[in-house]
Amino acid sequence: MRGRGAVWQLGSLLVCVALILAWQAVAQARLVSPVFLPPPTRVWAALVRGVESGVIVQKLAGTVLRMIEGWALASVLGVALGALIGTSRAARQWLGPTLEFLRPLPSSAIIPVAIALFGLSNGMVLGVIGFGALWPMLLATVHGFAAVEPRLYEVGRALGLSRWAVIRKVALPSAMPDILAGARLGLTVALVLAGVGEMLAGRDGLGQWILLAARAFRAPDLYAGVVLFGLLGYASALVIGLVERRALRWRQG
Amino acid sequence: MTAPIALRNVGLTLGGKRILDGIDLEIARGSFTCVVGPSGCGKTTLLRLVAGLVLPTEGEVQIGGTRVVAPRRDVAVVFQDYGRALLPWRTAAGNVSLALEAMGVAPRARPARIRDLLGRVGLAEHADKFPAQMSGGMQQRLQIARCLAQQPEVLLMDEPFGALDAMTRQGLQDEVLALVGDSGATVFFVTHDLEEAAYLGDVVIGLLPHPGRIARQVAVKLPRPRDQLATRELPEFLRLRRELFDFMRTAEA
Repeated sequence: MRGRGAVWQLGSLLVCVALILAWQAVAQARLVSPVFLPPPTRVWAALVRGVESGVIVQKLAGTVLRMIEGWALASVLGVALGALIGTSRAARQWLGPTLEFLRPLPSSAIIPVAIALFGLSNGMVLGVIGFGALWPMLLATVHGFAAVEPRLYEVGRALGLSRWAVIRKVALPSAMPDILAGARLGLTVALVLAGVGEMLAGRDGLGQWILLAARAFRAPDLYAGVVLFGLLGYASALVIGLVERRALRWRQG
Repeated sequence: MTAPIALRNVGLTLGGKRILDGIDLEIARGSFTCVVGPSGCGKTTLLRLVAGLVLPTEGEVQIGGTRVVAPRRDVAVVFQDYGRALLPWRTAAGNVSLALEAMGVAPRARPARIRDLLGRVGLAEHADKFPAQMSGGMQQRLQIARCLAQQPEVLLMDEPFGALDAMTRQGLQDEVLALVGDSGATVFFVTHDLEEAAYLGDVVIGLLPHPGRIARQVAVKLPRPRDQLATRELPEFLRLRRELFDFMRTAEA
């Protein structure tokens, strides 16, 4: 089983290498002007330069911080609100219609509103990330709470657990697989909106770096930024995967 | 001394349907009462009334002389579906701990109590297993351990062995007799297995359906400790078995 896993991993690595080689071939044959598509060697050089000077590291750090802050905001709000809606019929009926109206609004449509309210500030970008990443968390939490085994609520009643204890010890852990799935989606949304927010609001970060590089026809820098965005997305998925494995150990029975 | 369990003219109507009617019952302290009857006669509902999970529409249920208005911590319930009544994300030790947490046992005092309780149901070696890693019989033992953690005056068991194979069931019958013999709890045991009722009980109560009512109360005069082979060969056991089977035949006719 382990051997087969290694073969698959090697395969996925080969696909990646093949794509980079194809890119190199296309760029070297000048099928596309290097102004628009520089070869990966030059992108790599730009990346190394950026890391050595520390500029790109600083941009990356700005984006990571923004993404995590916005995502954390969305997670806290999403889980709290989701728990409330998931455990209280009154909350469901009072808040339901409003949330159904807000939910399908594209985050990009919110950005001008957020700019009008908060200006071109960090707070605006955080607000937009929080708004966008809130929905996957909220919906997943509501779903997770609705799927709690009714018998467990009875066990809670029979043991005389308080409402808060039931939420903390029964409902929340039971909803955890759903919540983590929501967190995974929310993190992707947060990454997208962090990039977009930086471009629109001119905040320091990878998004702005890409935009400025594109405007100045610094194609290698532009691609270096894009590659970093991709790596950031990949890394965040890996981290969530690790957390899931640890938190959902009991499922691997 | 007041009876630990007393029902006074208890009736229950749900959604216009008469479920239970005119239930009068007194159960002696430390006794083992079994309830049998055809399906739909309200056996489980009767148990839920005693548990305080359902409240009667007429009459009253008393435990230790006080009226039952909600579940009480000194009344423990063993549910039939052990697979749903355990927290799948907690280990065996964690599941027992839930009851201790509900009872307000200090964290420092819990590990020793958990060890003792798991030992009493023969799960000492399995403290770190998750329910999904345990057999049905082990899971039901675990649920019983959690109930014993409540140090209950009254132990309510709802067809606890219905889903287990015959060998496991007989083993658990003897374990339960030994455990409640030690703890002195008053047991109220619902089953559809007539031989099980005769084997375990001091009293067997027969219910008739539509609406559920007490039709028969049979004193079991079999010596204790009971033995799976010797007890079941006694003429008195065979006579009881015959009486209960005849009752069921007329009840279902």
